[in-house]
Amino acid sequence: MAGTRWYWPLVWAALAFRLFLVPFADNLNLGSRPEVATPLTSLRRLAEGYWLKQSSLSPYTGSMYHGSPLLLIILGPLTVKRIESQPAHLYCSLIFVLVDFFTAMLIRAIGEKLMLTNCNNLKLLKPSKLVESFGGVDAADIASLIYLWNPFTVVTCLGSCTSPIDNLMVVLAIYGACSRIVPLAAFGWVMATHFSLYPGILVIPVLLLLGYGPDAPPPKLFPQKHSNGDGSLVHVFSWGPILQFSLWVVIWSCYVLLLSSISLKGFDGLYDMLKKTLGFILTVEDLSPNIGVLWYFFAEVFEFFRGFFLIVFHVNILFMVCPLAIRLMHRPCFLAFVYITISATLKSYPSVGDAALYLSLLGLFANELAEMKFSFFLFCGYIGVSLLSPVMHNLWIWRGTGNANFYFATGLAYACLQTVLVVESVSTMLNHDRKLKKELKKT
Amino acid sequence: MEEQKPPAARKSRLIVRLGSFLVSHSAFVSVICCVAGCIALLLLPVLAKNTYVSENALMPGSANPMFSNQDVLEANRFVKDIYEKRILKDGSGMEIARLIGKHMEDVGAEVYYHKFKYRNLRFHPLCFFSSTPRTAVLQNSSACTLNGVSPVGIIRAPRGDGKESVVLVTPYNSENIKLNEALSLGLAYSVFSLLSRVVWLAKDIVWLAADSRYGEYTSVASWLKDYHNPTFSSDSGKIGIEMCFEKTENHVEDESSFDGAAYDDFKRAGTMAAALVVKVTDKERSERDRVDIYAEASNGQMPNLDLINIVHYLAVHRQGLHVRVGTFGFLLNSALLKHVGKTLQRLTRLAESLNPGWKLGVNSADFVEGTATLASSMYYQALGVPTGPHGAFRDFQIDAITMELSPRTSLTNDNGISSFLLRGGRLIEGVIRSVNNLLEKFHQSFFLYFLTAPNKFVSVGVYMIAFALLVAPLPMVAAALFSSTANARSLTAVSNSKPTNSKPVTRSGSWNWLHSAKLVFLVHLWALIVSLLPYFISQVPRTNSTTNMLSWSLSSLLILYLLTRLTKSYVEGYQWEVLKSVMIAAASIGLSLMSIINFSTAQVGSILLVPMCLMVRPLKQPIQVPFFPAALLKILNILLAVVAFPPASLAILKGCLRGFESINIGDFWEWSEFLWVWNSATYLFVALVHLPCWYLCVHILLHN
Repeated sequence: MAGTRWYWPLVWAALAFRLFLVPFADNLNLGSRPEVATPLTSLRRLAEGYWLKQSSLSPYTGSMYHGSPLLLIILGPLTVKRIESQPAHLYCSLIFVLVDFFTAMLIRAIGEKLMLTNCNNLKLLKPSKLVESFGGVDAADIASLIYLWNPFTVVTCLGSCTSPIDNLMVVLAIYGACSRIVPLAAFGWVMATHFSLYPGILVIPVLLLLGYGPDAPPPKLFPQKHSNGDGSLVHVFSWGPILQFSLWVVIWSCYVLLLSSISLKGFDGLYDMLKKTLGFILTVEDLSPNIGVLWYFFAEVFEFFRGFFLIVFHVNILFMVCPLAIRLMHRPCFLAFVYITISATLKSYPSVGDAALYLSLLGLFANELAEMKFSFFLFCGYIGVSLLSPVMHNLWIWRGTGNANFYFATGLAYACLQTVLVVESVSTMLNHDRKLKKELKKT
Repeated sequence: MEEQKPPAARKSRLIVRLGSFLVSHSAFVSVICCVAGCIALLLLPVLAKNTYVSENALMPGSANPMFSNQDVLEANRFVKDIYEKRILKDGSGMEIARLIGKHMEDVGAEVYYHKFKYRNLRFHPLCFFSSTPRTAVLQNSSACTLNGVSPVGIIRAPRGDGKESVVLVTPYNSENIKLNEALSLGLAYSVFSLLSRVVWLAKDIVWLAADSRYGEYTSVASWLKDYHNPTFSSDSGKIGIEMCFEKTENHVEDESSFDGAAYDDFKRAGTMAAALVVKVTDKERSERDRVDIYAEASNGQMPNLDLINIVHYLAVHRQGLHVRVGTFGFLLNSALLKHVGKTLQRLTRLAESLNPGWKLGVNSADFVEGTATLASSMYYQALGVPTGPHGAFRDFQIDAITMELSPRTSLTNDNGISSFLLRGGRLIEGVIRSVNNLLEKFHQSFFLYFLTAPNKFVSVGVYMIAFALLVAPLPMVAAALFSSTANARSLTAVSNSKPTNSKPVTRSGSWNWLHSAKLVFLVHLWALIVSLLPYFISQVPRTNSTTNMLSWSLSSLLILYLLTRLTKSYVEGYQWEVLKSVMIAAASIGLSLMSIINFSTAQVGSILLVPMCLMVRPLKQPIQVPFFPAALLKILNILLAVVAFPPASLAILKGCLRGFESINIGDFWEWSEFLWVWNSATYLFVALVHLPCWYLCVHILLHN
């Protein structure tokens, strides 16, 4: 398989490509693109926050910085270090390259876990035939290569924004849950939620992963074949890891809050932090244009409806959590992918960094989604929208011949694409399970 | 793209059935659409509407002009003063600048001298679409060699808050001033001195006498850049410039009487509402005094139509001037066009006789003239190169036009010139007074339009139809090809279910387009490299365009060869139908993207690209049609593959216009150099959309 033979050269090439582009980061000026850096993740805002903190003001003074105080401690000192004739955020960019590499490796590890369990399950179900027909491609390698070579990831990595770290935390949570390292899973989940709130809904896939183990065909199929055998792989929800997980979540949350409060000592403290980070996400205060749909809507909506619509939009995500969890209970990793995609569509400050994450997670299910419909349409759509969006932005902001509707139209098209992607991938996955069932019945 | 519709046999939703109907009849529909698109394009001059002043606040011509014979006398005196300075051979440039500055000061304006360096425009790959005008790193060695000085005067409006301004630009060559340039300076001066006395002024007036020694555009652009990017003394770049001036200042110091303070401060007058570039020419005579309007800025951007409207309205209805916009002269005498016009006239007569209610009123002569003007308007927009110094303003979202005034008499005829100056002055005064009334920036009227006459335009809503009709078949044919191959594959998969092929075609199902996508991606990568090559080739000193062109094409071929060899094993196993559909998808994305950046380029490009993309099929592949259509299709394919190759199409165009003996190998290099120094997106279109598409078409043609 081409993927495996060329895997490491391609990985190193991806890293070299990033390092080659890092010196041009200032010329590319990606950090000011609304598609790349959002008010939450922008490194320029982080530098501002750090500067405020250095001059003994609260970093949340004004409305500049909305990230975590922990990021401020880690990345802040690096934003002020400069080398002559090099881009401003050189050190941060180098760190992000490293972070991208770790994320890719973790995705690969997740993929290998998934493939291993998949193999075992299929052997258990039908030893001879199915394993052959589902051998397919090396999904783990493909997913990590998609992550490394996706233009969205490259742009995010160079665009001086903190999305790579958010993505790393999400992947860390899934990896920890997959390989049943409970403290790691709890750490990843707590940090991801702390950074950007939306990964909070990933608690369901993480719990399912810890309880049931990684993705498997529907549990209904197993009793048919193994009604009398030893049910070693037959699904029993194990409560032990769940309890451990909740314990660790409590420990990590307390730890994070403690560290934050220490770093914000002397300022307004934790309440202010929560208001300026989570509150900022939930109330959609910053209406500067981005690729999402919320900014336009809340710029138009009347002030006295604002609270109502804020609830509607956020509950929109929560509405889908339960039905999907019930339907895809046997495939927690896929469920995590669906959750991440949905929250990337409906979150208040989306960026292409979110797309980079879910597109590579999509690669993990390359074998199951081989029959996916509209794949070419989606591919063209993603390319078209990602090229059209900067052009429309230029037309509106710099040329003055377009208006906000032009740019919002691409945002709307992007949201539609993501919706189609979710719908098609879920239906393909369910069809895949059905096909599995049919083939088992046949034999 | 609505590929993979479920078969129509099953009862499904109407829109799905409609989509699958279109897809199944794609050949017929695409021919209809293409023909309709071409006809719609040809009919655009007929569909043009009369212009109207859309913004009520402008109120053109509602006040009596105050510009009087007194001002004309003043202008004449000024012209004489300046024209005499021409005799002073050495340092006449400085003298003229100082004279203009002194006169500005005398009417009570704030004066400063803007100094700029002449920097040769060069290709820089990162400069395309840079959102902020980039202050390039100065190369100290060559940066200081040349510079110019433009005097700038600002009248502060008695009724304004200093936050808005109107700009008047008169380019003049400081080294070798001509009478017409002196006249334009005189005209601007008289208007300027009049405006310093009026009470109704609500916006500051800036008069830039641009030193056009190194080109009109350069001086205006550098002034605008300095105006919008304040540099502080701590900036290292500024020190470089200052040192430049120190150095050049030394040898003129004895005779120069500029005080040092005037150098350093750069006075500003708020955002610019509009800008007028005024020029006087003496090129061709007509029976009336004439105004030529140039409006095209970079990448096909146009100023707001209202600006052209008020100039046209005031010039025609108040001053009795003759207004012209750019026209292709050779089209006016084209027999074919006249024939089409006559046929249209006959057809409309017929239609009117059938139903007298229709008032189409197509006139053959009007049609020919409209077409010639439209063609010129489209050509200059498609080229993406500004037609004058007004283009520099558009990059800062300022509406600007160039007004080229030409008198009916010779420039030395005093009486004729006086009446000409009177009319010109009143026109400029009227336009400024209208703009002065504006409360917001120009936004009411159109930004996207073509002119078919000075008072007729085709708006975006109309001309988009022609383009949409041309491009609509692309996604449809892509979907048809895609679904046909998907069906064929599923049939073969049913017939022999054993996977017989040993190739690593593991991604079955709907992912098989990936193999073609790899090839398309590679070709686009190649095109990207090819588009960047000129940057390196132009670094080599002392070469002419022929050798440059040869090295460009040779290195492109070499890279193509290397790329295909290196990736040979990866881009196998595709079907040509799928490749064609992926190529068409890429082309339609490129075309629709370009239609937003620069509509005219996309329109012109689509006329070549769309037929080529739609018709292409392997030459060796037999088709189940009678001999004659099949042969015709083959011949058309080969013909299009030759004509659509960018250097070939340029050569053919040049050959048709100037005779085939004038064609040169270096032509294409010169042309593309011209495009990239002006940062024209047309270059990107040709290199990144047209070229890969052409290569893929040839690839499919030779597919076996």
